[in-house]
Amino acid sequence: MTTAQRILTITALLATLAMGANASVLDSAKVDVRLGYTVGGTIPTHMGNEIRGINSFDPGLNFAVSAEASLPLSKRWAIHSGLRYELGSMDVDSRVMNYDIEVVRGDESLNGIFMGNVRIKSSQRRISLPIQAEFKASNTCSLRGGLFMGWLASRKFWGWAYDGYLREGTPVGPKIALGTEPGDRGDFEFDKSMRHMQWGIDVGADWQFHRRWGVFAELTYSLSGLFKSNFHSVQTLRPMYGTLGIMYRIK
Amino acid sequence: MKVIHNKYTPLVVLTAVSMLLLNTSCFGDEPAHCEADIETVKLHVSNPESFFFQVTDSLQSIYSTDSIITFTVRSNADVSALAPEFTLSQGATVVPASGSTHDFSKGPVTYTVTSQDGKWQRRYRMLVVPTEVTVTDTLYFDFEQYNIDPTYQRFYVWQYTLPYESPTTTWATANDGFRISMGSAQAMDYPTTPLTDGYDGAAVCLTTRDTGPFGAMARKRLAAGNMYLGTFDIKIAMSDHLHATCFGIPFASRPEKFTGVYTYAPGPTVQDFNGNPIPNRTDSASIYAVFYRNHDAAGNKVCLYGDNVLSSPQIVAVANLGYVTPTTQWTPWDVKFEYREEVDEQELANWGYSLTIVFSSSAGGGDFIGAIGSRLCIDQVRLISTEEE
Repeated sequence: MTTAQRILTITALLATLAMGANASVLDSAKVDVRLGYTVGGTIPTHMGNEIRGINSFDPGLNFAVSAEASLPLSKRWAIHSGLRYELGSMDVDSRVMNYDIEVVRGDESLNGIFMGNVRIKSSQRRISLPIQAEFKASNTCSLRGGLFMGWLASRKFWGWAYDGYLREGTPVGPKIALGTEPGDRGDFEFDKSMRHMQWGIDVGADWQFHRRWGVFAELTYSLSGLFKSNFHSVQTLRPMYGTLGIMYRIK
Repeated sequence: MKVIHNKYTPLVVLTAVSMLLLNTSCFGDEPAHCEADIETVKLHVSNPESFFFQVTDSLQSIYSTDSIITFTVRSNADVSALAPEFTLSQGATVVPASGSTHDFSKGPVTYTVTSQDGKWQRRYRMLVVPTEVTVTDTLYFDFEQYNIDPTYQRFYVWQYTLPYESPTTTWATANDGFRISMGSAQAMDYPTTPLTDGYDGAAVCLTTRDTGPFGAMARKRLAAGNMYLGTFDIKIAMSDHLHATCFGIPFASRPEKFTGVYTYAPGPTVQDFNGNPIPNRTDSASIYAVFYRNHDAAGNKVCLYGDNVLSSPQIVAVANLGYVTPTTQWTPWDVKFEYREEVDEQELANWGYSLTIVFSSSAGGGDFIGAIGSRLCIDQVRLISTEEE
């Protein structure tokens, strides 16, 4: 599917949903389609001091497309929803200390505390449904806040621990040095441990600078972890997507 | 007022969003360190030549897996007031303090290291052992003394006794390395295992094993069963495996002959580094002993490793069985040491030479080439030395 096709499909979906609603409410609804550039990453639940520095960060070239609608409830307030399709990816290389890690391969597992460098790459395709309260700060500006539900259509999370050492089990366990090259470093791949469903906080702002055109900013922060609750390989990571883009009002 | 508000609201919002995103690059204070190791020990004495056998013995690097630190010193050395100095893990503290004076003639001194964060402790026992250099006639290795390793309770370890007190009295094997790749393996599934019904009492069997999914990930698809006199450094087993095997223990006699009995059954299929079968090739075992100078010309300590144990210019003599003919019957070997240079008696008396005995079920195991299932069993190993000629 091309981006244009996706937009149309999602718009059609939204329209179908809307047809079931009360006609008078529908008359006052605003509908737009959006295209944005997304920085999609995962961040630890608390920016732990285990991460000592970022060696490199590549947010990737990710887009989000959506069809969204606002139903006014009063002069100032509206309810906002839509359907979004978001690509998220990340390639981050960080320097860590006292970093809890567990690597599982088949029936075997190795866990401990790692000191060194960790490269993490991830990519996801997410379909999400936001439900937000919208506050019209003025005729052209509005602020939104609420929740979203997301489903990962595809998910990948892999990387390697390198140029450092693992203390096996506990900080006083055997020291195992990890090198830099494949075979000398500790590779990991956690695709299957990722949750399909995500939910969390979604805040945004719109600026309608033209009758049809506007710009928006969106930030979603997942309150559910990236990984299933029985997964302890790395500390709890939560997906966070920041999107900046343009919107085109179709109604 | 309203106009201004309209104009700048988006900017304010964008700034807020950017700040939230940028927040990921703000780091807290460096956490307290959680390690509690003694990394090195230095023994300062006023007359190192008459205290140590080799001056380089005054400094020891301690493996992360060691909790007993042994200094073997000359028999007439005064060990009643020594002040060992430690380097510790970053931020860690030690009680009694580094540099404090203790009487080691009364036995070991226990040091307790506490991590900077206060949550972790390690206890070390340090011994300084005045030792008489004894010239041995024959060393006997019958593999009767073995037990489950005390730390992990996962695999077998073998002790041997030397006629003098020695820091190393456990045969080195790669079992500890295998444990990392196959944590679920039972003791008898490790590469080096006891055979209760050997040639004469128990024997030891070395079996080339598949290292499983972790082994494949680490591109170390097999582990040859091995056993040698020396030390195994688990720290670099993954990143620099050929240097993880430090071959040799100090040895003060001139070895002459190396004998024993073995059985050998090569596994069905030899595989290469990538795990692909190599057709028409039969696996081969290694049985050899090497005697070498353990200091170089500049006086630095030398250890032979997996990549030079048979090729180093430090080598003085080798007793190599060569091709190990497959056999299911206990078959004796009797190999003479081939000397490449003269032995310096003074150096010999100062433990300036080291000896290693090496057994492996796959000679190409260092390069991860071999046949899964190749099995070498050995028993009644003898190392016969001569008195000065």
